Amino acid sequence: MLSAHLPACFFYFLILLLFFKKAGLNFFATLNSIKYFILLLFFIFIARALTVKGDIIFSLYDITITEQSLTEGFLVAFKFFLVMLTGLLFSTTTKPSSVKNAVQWFLKPIPFVPEKRVAVMISLSLSFMPVILKQAKEISDAQKARCANLQKNPVKRIIRLVLPLLKKTFISADRLVFAMESRCYNDDRTDPEFLPSGKEIPFLIGSFIISLSLAWL
Amino acid sequence: MQELIIDINAICHTFSDGYVGIKNISVSISKGEFIILAGKNGSGKTTLLRHLNGLLLPDSGHISVNGHDVSKHLIQTRKTVGMVFQDADTQIVGDTVFDEVAFGLENLKVKRAEINKKVTLILENLNLFHLKDRSPSTLSGGEKRKLAIAGILVMDPEVIVFDEPFSNLDYPGTIQVLSTIINLNQSGHTIIIATHDVETIIYEATRIIIMEKGLIKEDGEPDSIVKYLESYGVKEPCSSKFGLGLQPWLP
Repeated sequence: MLSAHLPACFFYFLILLLFFKKAGLNFFATLNSIKYFILLLFFIFIARALTVKGDIIFSLYDITITEQSLTEGFLVAFKFFLVMLTGLLFSTTTKPSSVKNAVQWFLKPIPFVPEKRVAVMISLSLSFMPVILKQAKEISDAQKARCANLQKNPVKRIIRLVLPLLKKTFISADRLVFAMESRCYNDDRTDPEFLPSGKEIPFLIGSFIISLSLAWL
Repeated sequence: MQELIIDINAICHTFSDGYVGIKNISVSISKGEFIILAGKNGSGKTTLLRHLNGLLLPDSGHISVNGHDVSKHLIQTRKTVGMVFQDADTQIVGDTVFDEVAFGLENLKVKRAEINKKVTLILENLNLFHLKDRSPSTLSGGEKRKLAIAGILVMDPEVIVFDEPFSNLDYPGTIQVLSTIINLNQSGHTIIIATHDVETIIYEATRIIIMEKGLIKEDGEPDSIVKYLESYGVKEPCSSKFGLGLQPWLP
């Protein structure tokens, strides 16, 4: 994917759009949710546009913009954008328990890796995201209620949010440990159940065809 | 005489920062009892509860559950004494309601077919089966607390310990949880509830233990203790204050 050219990227983008539609996700709402990431991509584009040598289009003092720099800047930013969209599509259409089971299955053959523990950790991280986000919202609202939004320094605002959030998260983690221990948690657990959906073979064939098409483009 | 299930003998616990959690606690609990452990915040209720499940071990003294020393039989103790924590959000570990209830059985390495059967039965009994594929984070407060109870019940405990089971619940949520607890006691489970607000459950209780500064100050039947509650910082139920005796909270 990262070494792909522009036609391959556009082809992959169209496939992603199709999957977004199929999954019932609003593409523009998704773009809105990653607006800060898109801003980062813009900076990546600028950085590339100013540094790659080639046929000069525009020049002012030491700043030169070349045809190659614009193309390469756009390509790099577009590839990162596609990686982000793929990740979002994956996380919104896959159950955390399926991710956990898959991680456990893939790690099983690797020696010295406690695959069940890693799988539980991933599952806990995913299931605790809503709790942590809710706590962050509560802290933010409590601070807004005391006019914290008048503080314009973003660093100070982040510190005021992050410190109490970290404290709450550690306390919650302590409670979680007690709750898990009280239910006899240990690494030697019953293995997850894999229930085939019947779509595995068409999916494998589809992935193979798409990969071949991308390589050809 | 009823059969003894938990025997606590002169236990003390001091935390690593020097704070004394409980001092010289001795109490015996029989099968089928419905006990309220009352007291102000910081009186040692939660510390005592955590000893019953082996989450904390005493510095001195000993606890036995069904005749077995807790410190030497941790897994057996945790199967016998289930614990429902105050904050359901931090107790729930599963991605779905079904997975959450299955967690304890998976830890005990129960076979998958049996897990599926037991979890389905518990979810049906607690009227949660229609929510089995939902993410626990999307449930109401009462449903989350019932889910936490289901996660314990599936391990088939004889004693269920609740730490402030009605905190942060609205009226319908409180009714749901209270009805569940009463049904559990009627089906033979021993119930121990730590709370600083006894109004909701005092009518159902067979015994009240009052704690203060890590010590047991009172231990007896609700009728005989209710008038002393406020001297230990626990609110006396309104019905008792107005001379109506103890009244059921459920409509």
